[in-house]
Amino acid sequence: MKKRKVMSVILTGAMVASSLAACSSGDAKGSTKKDSKKVTKVDVTKEDKNTLSVYAWDKNFNIPALKAAEKAYQKKNPKFKLNIIEQSQSSDVETAITTAGSAGDFTTLPDIVLFQDHYFQKYVTDYPKAWVDLEKSDVQWADFGQEKLSYSTIKNKHYGVPVDNGTVVCAYRTDLLKECGYTIDDLTGVTWDKFIEIGQKVHKKTGKYLLSMDGAGNDLPYMMLQAEGVSQFKDGKVNLTKNETLKKIIDKIVEMKQKDVLYLANDWSDYTDQTIIGDMVAGVMNGNWIIPTIKQVKKNEGKWEITSMPTLNGEEGYASNGGSSLYITSNCRKQDLAKDFLAYTFGGGEGKQETYDKALEDGGVITTCISAGKSDVYNKGVKYFGDQAIYSKIVEMGTHVKVVEQSDFHYVCREQVAAAIQNIINGTKTDAALKDAEKQVKFAMEK
Amino acid sequence: MSSKTLSTDFVEAKSMKKGKKNKKVKKRTVTAKQHRAGWTFLTPATVFITIMSFYPMFQALITSFKTGSSADMVWSKPLFRNYTRMFSDDLFLRSVGNTFLYLIVEVPIMLIFAILLAQILNNRDIKFRGLFRTCVFLPCATSLVSYALIFKSLFATQGLINSILVKIGILHSNYNFLGTPGSAKVVIIIALIWRWTGYNMVFYLAGLQNIEYSVYEAAKIDGANGWKTFWHITVPLLKPTIIMTFIMSINGTLQLFDESVNLTKGGPANTTITMSHYIYNNSFGQGVANFGYASAMSFFVFVLVAVLAAINLKVGDTRD
Repeated sequence: MKKRKVMSVILTGAMVASSLAACSSGDAKGSTKKDSKKVTKVDVTKEDKNTLSVYAWDKNFNIPALKAAEKAYQKKNPKFKLNIIEQSQSSDVETAITTAGSAGDFTTLPDIVLFQDHYFQKYVTDYPKAWVDLEKSDVQWADFGQEKLSYSTIKNKHYGVPVDNGTVVCAYRTDLLKECGYTIDDLTGVTWDKFIEIGQKVHKKTGKYLLSMDGAGNDLPYMMLQAEGVSQFKDGKVNLTKNETLKKIIDKIVEMKQKDVLYLANDWSDYTDQTIIGDMVAGVMNGNWIIPTIKQVKKNEGKWEITSMPTLNGEEGYASNGGSSLYITSNCRKQDLAKDFLAYTFGGGEGKQETYDKALEDGGVITTCISAGKSDVYNKGVKYFGDQAIYSKIVEMGTHVKVVEQSDFHYVCREQVAAAIQNIINGTKTDAALKDAEKQVKFAMEK
Repeated sequence: MSSKTLSTDFVEAKSMKKGKKNKKVKKRTVTAKQHRAGWTFLTPATVFITIMSFYPMFQALITSFKTGSSADMVWSKPLFRNYTRMFSDDLFLRSVGNTFLYLIVEVPIMLIFAILLAQILNNRDIKFRGLFRTCVFLPCATSLVSYALIFKSLFATQGLINSILVKIGILHSNYNFLGTPGSAKVVIIIALIWRWTGYNMVFYLAGLQNIEYSVYEAAKIDGANGWKTFWHITVPLLKPTIIMTFIMSINGTLQLFDESVNLTKGGPANTTITMSHYIYNNSFGQGVANFGYASAMSFFVFVLVAVLAAINLKVGDTRD
């Protein structure tokens, strides 16, 4: 009898637990994402006049950069304090703006937010009242890579101050290339056909792929197109089916996949953890923020080097992928302080060298500020990359990136083109797959 | 309750003592009092449900007729634009198709498994049946996200299942289960069955416990074998429970979200995306914030659930 009672207690307990779990799955469509979120609220009205609050999300990357800026600005204003509120991921900041914008109440926002470049246009279009432009500030706009500024400039008004740099690096394992009889120069300024030829040899000889990418959020088409100076958008409209360059590029991607040059992972964490950290690849091509991921494989220290991208006609290719900038929200009550802080530090003012040098040392954040990229810290060789001075090289490469048309629907398009590539690999004709993708993007762009 | 009504009650009660005629009045006030107490107890829950559930639902209905940025939504032209739009949205239609595929394949398999397990574990001669019951039920106590992640790592290209299948020679090389449309769907269905069978089994066990053991004994004496007893006694007597589990499973599957998000992210190439996942993508994914359209799709799911539940109830109605 007693046994049964115990049993029933256990079962009831399990019931309650499961019904709670069942509820959470039924109620909120976004429950999974929200549950894991630790929303830290901020109230700017309670700050003293020398404090600014800011949202950022990566404690190994952009938060050290902000701390460096805080320290640099304290030289000018010793009482200054930066209240950095860590978010668990970049989309938390986007959700914060969406929520505040939908409610029409911006008082929940901090003074400054770090925001993803590709999303910014869309958020200015949707929530114009959430932002403050930087036209009346001392930021040295001419000192920055113009491609980077193109993301945060809307209708000829500057909104954001660049923090990091999205310039694409092609990193290769020189030891494996040597094994196959190549050097990194053989992969600099080459055509994609030559790249595929080398990749095939590398895979045959070492079993490693020369390139890998997340197959679902495939950044390759965008980066390869930008290296050609072409966009997936034209005059505000999606441009896939009549885009001959894109077709050529997609054919190359499919060919790479079929010839075991390219490995397409199922998702982002597979891409980083399995292919890069799991040591499956002899080459990595992505925004330079991928470097900390490459560095996690300690045993390959000194074996990597970086260079520019291949292109269709064999010129050196330059592109940019990802990155973020700092924006002042309309909730900021101390706009003069915020503008001065940004201009003095990240904006190329007196504190720029101290800010960017420390940001690089502590967080690996590379600048797009041209003059700041010439310091000793930037010109130092990096042991992991065979003592190559990769940072100054990246800043230099960043100045060559061509400005291409951006769109609010960048990520929608990226997803659809990625889906098209998957379908082509599975046997669909290129034209049909692209037609389908274009239809979907057009559909999403309709109001 | 106001003091005025209280005092009139008091006066009424006093006057009741006097005549026969007043007895009727007394009875009525007692019922009235009971009613009032009943409503008093109901009020807090009703108010909360109205504020927390019905009001947002009503707002969502209004939102579903609007369009534009969520800061400045305007009525869509024509008014039903969001509703007509979804039927020309290939991706939404695909998500509906996927969801129904999961529903049609997974729910029957799961419920049959559940009823068989319940039948086996209801057998009084089995030792440690409490332990087995708990084991079958345990998957239900795991979080949806964590179990999805565990399945993901099991079925990963370099995962355990692949290693085993390659070792014993069924596969030649590692197979990308979650990266191939067909097998990704199968993995989702397997995961769903693993997660929810025990949950439904508990309902059947409870139902079985309500069936008199003597009925089975009588059947045994009449010479019915296990199969016959199952079909002619267990199933008919469990009918109300079966209908309930059906409705719950249909409802749950139509709102399927976690598996699609965590196991496959809807991929490869959106071939495994579910309706709820697509709705989520339209409201919070990729910076789109298309709340009007997302609300309209939510109402479509709402109507689907209501219709399917109604059909289910009608089919299972035992009254003549």
